[in-house]
Amino acid sequence: MGAPVSDEQFRAEIRGWLREALTGPFAEAVGTGGEGREHEAHELRREWERHLGRAGWIGLSWPTEYGGRPATLAQQVIFHEEYARAGAPGRLGHMSEQLLGPTLLAFGTPEQKARFLPRITSGEDIWCQGYSEPGAGSDLAGVRTRAERRGDHYVITGQKVWTSLAHLADWCFVLCRTDPGSTRHAGLSYLLVPMNQPGVTVRPITQLTGTSEFNEVFFDEAVAAVEHRVGAEGEGWKVAMGTLGFERGVSTLGQQIGFRRRLDAVIARARSNGAWQEPALRDRLVDAYIGLEVMRHSAVRLLASAGEGLSGLEASISKLQWATWNRSLGELAVDVEGAGALLTGPGYELDDAQTHFLFSRANTIYGGSNEIQRNIIAERLLGLPR
Amino acid sequence: MTGTPEDLAEIRASVAEVLDGQADLRRTHEVMVGERGYDPLLHELLTAELGLLGLVVPEHLGGLGLDVPAATAVIEELGARLVPGALATSLTAILAARALGPSAEPLLARVVDEQLTLAVALAEDGAGWDLGQTATRATGAGDEWALTGTKTVVPGAEAARVVLVTARNEGGELGVYAVDRAADGVDVRTHMTLDQTRRLSTVRLREAAATRVDAPGGDGARVLLDHVRAMLALESAAAARACLDLTVDYLKVREQFGRPIGSFQALKHRCADLAVAVAGARATADHLVTTLRTGAATRSHDAALAKLVCADTLMTVAAEAIQLHGGIGFTFEHHAHLFFKRGKSAQLLAGSAAAVRAEVAALAGL
Ligand SMILES: Cc1cc2nc3c(=O)[nH]c(=O)nc-3n(C[C@H](O)[C@H](O)[C@H](O)COP(=O)(O)OP(=O)(O)OC[C@H]3O[C@@H](n4cnc5c(N)ncnc54)[C@H](O)[C@@H]3O)c2cc1C
Repeated sequence: MGAPVSDEQFRAEIRGWLREALTGPFAEAVGTGGEGREHEAHELRREWERHLGRAGWIGLSWPTEYGGRPATLAQQVIFHEEYARAGAPGRLGHMSEQLLGPTLLAFGTPEQKARFLPRITSGEDIWCQGYSEPGAGSDLAGVRTRAERRGDHYVITGQKVWTSLAHLADWCFVLCRTDPGSTRHAGLSYLLVPMNQPGVTVRPITQLTGTSEFNEVFFDEAVAAVEHRVGAEGEGWKVAMGTLGFERGVSTLGQQIGFRRRLDAVIARARSNGAWQEPALRDRLVDAYIGLEVMRHSAVRLLASAGEGLSGLEASISKLQWATWNRSLGELAVDVEGAGALLTGPGYELDDAQTHFLFSRANTIYGGSNEIQRNIIAERLLGLPR
Repeated sequence: MTGTPEDLAEIRASVAEVLDGQADLRRTHEVMVGERGYDPLLHELLTAELGLLGLVVPEHLGGLGLDVPAATAVIEELGARLVPGALATSLTAILAARALGPSAEPLLARVVDEQLTLAVALAEDGAGWDLGQTATRATGAGDEWALTGTKTVVPGAEAARVVLVTARNEGGELGVYAVDRAADGVDVRTHMTLDQTRRLSTVRLREAAATRVDAPGGDGARVLLDHVRAMLALESAAAARACLDLTVDYLKVREQFGRPIGSFQALKHRCADLAVAVAGARATADHLVTTLRTGAATRSHDAALAKLVCADTLMTVAAEAIQLHGGIGFTFEHHAHLFFKRGKSAQLLAGSAAAVRAEVAALAGL
């Protein structure tokens, strides 16, 4: 696996592997666990993470000593494209791989890398992100969860909220305040906290879809080892911002194929139920297609100029584009259905159009809301005064 | 010059330098209200001295033989400054002629030899930009043709020496023909226009002598239409960027309530949305340039889509520019309205939004 391969070889390899895996033991997992479907097939998807890991598909571009495999930025995009094309299951490991992994690679000690990264690339550990709190959302510097140092460990007390997959995760990367007198960006630290311990309580929050993928997490004298602090004590803000940069990174470039599948499904539905004949709906469908083309060409441009990574600015533009686009496609999906979209299963089970319609409201909130992205673009790209 | 990225950057920079000196927005303002509506001296400078007409004409025909992006870079630089006249249409016609193959070589040779500027005439009353309804007739054969018909809203004709015209021969086949503006039977009437930076003409042809530019059996008329759309897209993408820049610059210096108005979040967010739109337009325009350069089969689709996206983006940015400037933005003296009017002409020329959207849908197989 060490030798560099061409993009075509890479595509053929991942495509072939996915085909085989998803017709065999994981056939049932196809299409599960996507956005708004995080509650589905947990056991199978956990097993799927390990299967992906064993085949070497987690940790693309990471050093091989941690179980990674060499891959260019273009190949990472290809992976995400083929993954979506195959309808492979929603990743339980996306925060592990896309948020924590790059953070450890950038800021972790050799011991932390050696301990945690191989368990991510093998699909063993699932991580969740403990940033947001009741009082700290867009303004993350308002974090109040406290961590007090006692010898070789920290004792953590406080509350996180909207913590995706906390009910399934083995570990949580937590931003908390280690300096009790501090305010704002100073005095924060980035701790790696095991979820399976007495001081951690996870309470699922029911979302407007009727299902739960995010949770409240209560820390009541929970414990984290000092050696599991990433970055220096009090430097947690810098580390956390690094993670946010990764959050808006490469996977969004690979989303194109998944979006196209959704759009094609909506158009196919419009053609079969007559909605396509309604000029107003047809215009919106064609505009959605045009919007997707704009994103596709933007992604190509980004890739051409990005080298090995994306700047936060480019990522802000692409986040604003896709989140807004996907949210309108969700509206369009139910409009195309017509009044039939108002009927759900007996337990509020939702079909694809309904799920898309409801869950896509989150797209413009998480990972930096649309308003926050606009602030970033206005101040850092256009240089408008604060 | 071999057409490396460095060469391209150099061409763009040298054209930009000349235009900044001779054809900035202030100059456009003066020129557009003049009788001719364009600046003949600038035309002379850019053609005779900078040799822009020969830029992408193959070497064996007397040109510099550079590739498509050299010409599109110039169209963008002209577009960013809303430069009136027939330079953009000339480069557009030259790019289309290149794409038409050997049959267009005599025209390209003439372009360099005689330093010909060109206009492109497709629309007709009744037909609009629907090629299928073209009623202008071509009679004759081989090299000798006579055209009869009326072309409307023709850009570039006020300053061009040759007009490329779509017409239908006796067999009903559409083709592209070149007519000398000075020939007998050619009557060009140039109108005052809503978009003062782009004069439009009615071209009446009565048995006007013409040569055929495309090869029989091809899709020459479509090639020409696609290139006109490309011109509008490239100009619009560049103009949208320029208009956003001048607006953002203003928001940084204009103060109200004791602070720069650009610090008000309501305005910031609108600028951010415009920046996203401008980036999207740029991406579609760049993709179209690649398509034209590689001769990809998606040309009609990509040109239609880019013209729609870029013209709409310019319109949005320019409308916001007026609003965000306040009273000064409503004055004739300010530049904002030039972009606003340019945006409207880009939207309405070469097919309405509804028609182009329907074309995109059909070409994409939706
Ligand atoms: C489905 C989902 C999953 C999530 N998963 C996680 C997770 O795993 N881990 C985690 O830590 N967090 C997670 N979040 C939380 C998410 O990051 C926050 O919801 C987000 O940062 C917004 O914070 P908030 O909810 O407190 O809203 P607020 O910050 O209170 O925002 C409320 C409104 O005010 C606007 N606003 C706020 N500040 C400004 C400003 N300066 N200028 C203009 N407008 C402003 C916002 O855009 C928004 O419209 C998740 C959220 C969702 C919806």
